[in-house]
Amino acid sequence: MAEKLLEVRNLTTGFLTEKGLVKATDRISLAIEKGKTLCLVGESGSGKSVTSMSIMRLIDYANGVILEGSINFKGEDLVKKKQEELRSIRGNKISMIFQDPMSALNPVFTVGEQIAESLRLHQNKSKDEAWKEAIELLRMVGIPSPEIRAKQYPNQLSGGMCQRVVIAIALASKPELLIADEPTTALDVTVQAQILDLLQDLKEKLGTSILLITHDMGVAAEMADHIAVMYAGAIVEQGTVEEIFSNPSHPYTVGLLQSIPGFEGERGGELYTIKGTIPALGNLPQGCRFNPRCPHVMDKCRQVEPGDIQVGDEHYAKCWLFEENGKAAVAGKGDNIHG
Amino acid sequence: MTEYLIRRLLQSILVLFLVSVAAFGLMHAAPGGPTQMMISPGLSPETAAIQKHNLGLDKPVPTQYVIWLKNMLKGDMGYTFKNNVPVGDVIWPAVKNTLVLMSFSWVLSLIIAIPWGIYNSTREYGLSDQTANFVTYIGFAMPTFWFGIILQEFFSLKMDWLPLSDMYSMDKQGNVGDLFMHLILPSTVLVLVNLAGYVKYSRSSMLEVLEQDYIRTARAKGVPERKVIFRHALRNALIPIITVLGMDLASLVAGATLTENVFNWPGMGRLFVDMARSREYSVLMAITMITAVAVVLGNLIADILYKLVDPRVQIGRKGGKA
Amino acid sequence: MSDMNAATAPNVQPAEPMAPENAPLPPSKKPPGPWKLVWQKFSHNPYAMTGLVVLLIFVLVAIFAKQVAPFDPAKVDMMNSNLKPGSGKHLLGTDELGRDIFSRLVYSSRISLMVGFSVAIIAVFLGSLIGAISGYFGGWVDTIFMRLIDVMISLPGLFINILVMAIFGTKMIYLILILALTSWTGVARLVRGQFLQLREMQYVEAARATGVSSWGIIFRHLLRNASFPIIVNATLMVGGAILSESGLSYLGLGIQMPQTSWGIMLSNSQEFMLINPMLAVYPGLCILIVVLAVNFIGDGIRDALDPRQKKSRRRLAKWRKNFSKSGI
Repeated sequence: MAEKLLEVRNLTTGFLTEKGLVKATDRISLAIEKGKTLCLVGESGSGKSVTSMSIMRLIDYANGVILEGSINFKGEDLVKKKQEELRSIRGNKISMIFQDPMSALNPVFTVGEQIAESLRLHQNKSKDEAWKEAIELLRMVGIPSPEIRAKQYPNQLSGGMCQRVVIAIALASKPELLIADEPTTALDVTVQAQILDLLQDLKEKLGTSILLITHDMGVAAEMADHIAVMYAGAIVEQGTVEEIFSNPSHPYTVGLLQSIPGFEGERGGELYTIKGTIPALGNLPQGCRFNPRCPHVMDKCRQVEPGDIQVGDEHYAKCWLFEENGKAAVAGKGDNIHG
Repeated sequence: MTEYLIRRLLQSILVLFLVSVAAFGLMHAAPGGPTQMMISPGLSPETAAIQKHNLGLDKPVPTQYVIWLKNMLKGDMGYTFKNNVPVGDVIWPAVKNTLVLMSFSWVLSLIIAIPWGIYNSTREYGLSDQTANFVTYIGFAMPTFWFGIILQEFFSLKMDWLPLSDMYSMDKQGNVGDLFMHLILPSTVLVLVNLAGYVKYSRSSMLEVLEQDYIRTARAKGVPERKVIFRHALRNALIPIITVLGMDLASLVAGATLTENVFNWPGMGRLFVDMARSREYSVLMAITMITAVAVVLGNLIADILYKLVDPRVQIGRKGGKA
Repeated sequence: MSDMNAATAPNVQPAEPMAPENAPLPPSKKPPGPWKLVWQKFSHNPYAMTGLVVLLIFVLVAIFAKQVAPFDPAKVDMMNSNLKPGSGKHLLGTDELGRDIFSRLVYSSRISLMVGFSVAIIAVFLGSLIGAISGYFGGWVDTIFMRLIDVMISLPGLFINILVMAIFGTKMIYLILILALTSWTGVARLVRGQFLQLREMQYVEAARATGVSSWGIIFRHLLRNASFPIIVNATLMVGGAILSESGLSYLGLGIQMPQTSWGIMLSNSQEFMLINPMLAVYPGLCILIVVLAVNFIGDGIRDALDPRQKKSRRRLAKWRKNFSKSGI
């Protein structure tokens, strides 16, 4: 196994709501290798963005709190760091791009200023140097006539252009890890493909690892080396992209794959849709969190929550269906796949 | 920009015209309106008729209005019926005095309120925020003139630290130090009233901005928190604040009626009440029009400022406010 | 400002709307209506409830002024002028004419509350009517009313009040009418906005097409969507009117002797500041407390309507302080 750049273990993030403490992520464990892409896939509301915000520790500003777990980045635990100390990592070694590029850029600064700011923060460049490099970055992310664009405000650019600018900001300091939170969801279909191509391009050119968050299995298939499937705050299945697509195990993953047009379900062949909706995080069912919607639900599923069960090479699923295949584990007790 | 300005200007002129019609109509509709006020009660009917004719009061009200409007546009605001003084001689000193009091307390309010509101937005429900909340509630619920009276009772009568009222002491006309001493109490009242609105407004404006995605982007870039607040958030939060300030510009001229009366400050507010009591219609009309011009102008300035500071708003497009 | 949950935690589902599978409502229980929901939240707000209780006390005192006040408020007794508080039966002492201060405060509450509530009621009625006409007919009718509002707000309300009171004379009915005439614009805009929204809606069109009177639908929609904002607006108007009355009476352009109001008592007190400084304190405090109570009630209703949950935000701030390890 290649060297791990980021290793998240048992990450649990909570929010206080009217109904009390709600865990938006529940003992998330994942790892990203150098130069590889991990796709975190799931419906909206499954806790994908909370996971990414927690890794950046931006969750602190969104009234969330990391309740337990560790985020190991190059031998340092980000959970234990103070906000002050994180500043030299954020935007420098770990960068992030967001879902809605139009609102992610500050409306009162020109795009050039916003890129240059990042350069000046982390690389001590002079104003002129930073501006010149900002223009180079704009050129790199494929913005035509960057000298003119740099002097424009975000509202003068299209959504796709804005996302390129956001990517330019994120890449300004050549980060080792890029977290992309649904980077194409708010964009037109044709622009989506361009942005994904750009990310793939830059990843190969710069050797950056990517944590790509998406609800779209099609995007994951195109981009990922590894896939982690999230459901209601937990990772229910993870493995290499080949494993997940050739041998989807968790009924939820199977259901997600059915939703891709043109993908033939391998299990049973008959087409089914996932009935019901994702449960509210404050109101999870007992046992497996997928049991009310699962077509294969057993009595055990309603009582005990499954832990990670190995279903293949580097491939784990939280589902009692595979109990006999591998080592059974009950959630919460030594729930640590990579240890 | 020019096209937008012209359209806004025409709108403003229409509003001012309507205000003048309404005010003129109101004053002439009153029992004992200008006609009766201008004619001495002791005159014989014949002399009264002659005097009426000389003053133009025998013409129909619309004609009188047109004459008044013509004179007004020429800068002739008429004469007071008592003592026959040009209205301008009464009003302009009052405008000046009001400007002194109002701009002093306004600037002071802003210097306190905006930083305070920003600080509170970063420490929601902290001690400072709770204090501001308390000040806001009291400021909105308290009769301002009462606060003025209480200040007078304590600081002037009981402790004898500050002058009770007026703008200058009897023998110190034009003395700046003396003026400052006289400014303290009325300004305290006005600052408290202004604070109630401005602190709350700048706090909520700031809070709204702090929840925006681009603030998250700034933090994700590794921008230090202080810079996030003062560079990224403040620039955006100031946009609505500037608009509100522009709208309040008018009060610099219109004055604070009650506070000026409590402290016997010879400004517009006090003049207006005095003139209303003695029914000096030409002065009342003039003050009404000057105030309306100030309000309309203030709104216009607010609008233009808004379009200048916010690059999102394209000048000339209708309904740009987000 | 957007919904807190949506803005701060993009992927956390709001806790309230639950999927039917997870929380099936017992069929026998009807969901509580909007009034009940608002009352539930309102009654858990200590400030709002205190405001309500205080206001009720003042209202009762005003109604039963005859029974509450130990003396005739207008009775002059020069032998007993400027008595100290607690002298004889004079709870708060007497003023420069020997009138019992406590009794005058009690009777003043009548005027202040009556002015406050009448102004709010008239202004709400007027505002709703003008807003409805303006929004329903649109076109030039709308333009005229909107220009009228422009004219109204291009002069300070107090200016207009002073002007009218000075010109037409200081009768109480004029006072109430002019205060109402200068406070209806907010309600009118609110109701007009609702109407404009309604006009776009398909079902109103449909109702009109089938010959059903659209007024019924409009009225129900209005009641559902605009009633609470109007109530909030009205409570704030009550406070504003009480303050305006006191201001005008202080200037001698409001309530006139021998009637008594807190504003008159204040105006009177300034002359006798040297002899009895407490004369100014009591009526001012009364105004402050009543207006504070009314404003608390208004804010309480507004917060009860606000899905953002102020209370939980406050709790959350505390909680975050205790739990967060980040040190921000």
